[in-house]
Amino acid sequence: MNEQIEQDWLDRKLQEAAPYIEDDGFTARVLQQLPAPRQAGQFLRPFILVGMSALASALTYVLSDGGRFILVEMFRLTTIPTLWVVAFAMASGMLVMTGGIFAAMSKSNHIQS
Amino acid sequence: MELTDAGLVARVLVDDDQHAFGELVRRHQSSVRGLLRQLTRGDLALADDLAQDAFVRAYKNIRGFRGEAKFSTWLYRIAYNCFREDARRRKELVGINEEQWQAEQDPQTVDPGLRHDLMHALSLLPLHERSAVLLCCQNGLSHDEAARALDIPLGTVKTNVLRGREKLKKTLAVWTQ
Repeated sequence: MNEQIEQDWLDRKLQEAAPYIEDDGFTARVLQQLPAPRQAGQFLRPFILVGMSALASALTYVLSDGGRFILVEMFRLTTIPTLWVVAFAMASGMLVMTGGIFAAMSKSNHIQS
Repeated sequence: MELTDAGLVARVLVDDDQHAFGELVRRHQSSVRGLLRQLTRGDLALADDLAQDAFVRAYKNIRGFRGEAKFSTWLYRIAYNCFREDARRRKELVGINEEQWQAEQDPQTVDPGLRHDLMHALSLLPLHERSAVLLCCQNGLSHDEAARALDIPLGTVKTNVLRGREKLKKTLAVWTQ
């Protein structure tokens, strides 16, 4: 038998000699042995964030004389020209969008690597 | 649409998605268990224990998978390491019991069928040749991928495959005539 044909024959027979092994609960047994997912921490995360935000807001309100500065600033905002407000809104939008794009690119690179 | 291995790995990485990892196990359990069954010379229980250990290790270390090689190659490497560590623990590492193993083989027990002869011939190969032949010829890995999986130089893999093949051909000469 030709060398190459012999080699191909051998490889083919080796592949045929390794039949598919049925799962038979193997995957389930592996999954049972895996450490618990990080879901416990993730579940608490929104509550922690909301709680901290509420606490920070309450502190700000108390320490700023009942939030009087907000009223003052709101009044000052009404005196700003409309064009400035539009420009400020657009600039803020662009800034958030740029940040979002960079975050998405960074996450995509992390996943690919 | 069915997710690729890379897609499933990404889900495990980002969301710690154990269902995605389960799908990876389902996809690769047969080849990993098959490889380990050959390496352990047909000890099915030990092979399955090692395979389980390999998959659990893969899950715990999945951040170490950089995507430079195929997921299956990375998995074979972990499985092979599990086997080697276990063999060390059992003091049955390559070469130590090869002669004993060969002496224990009773020719009368060998099935006349080609498959049985092939498996028998394969089991007689030294571990380094057997593992290289199994990965390259049976599981279809390239020499480069096998070198990564076995953590040995590319040239060594080529030599081991060549020698292993030659020995198998000699043993199975009667079938090729």
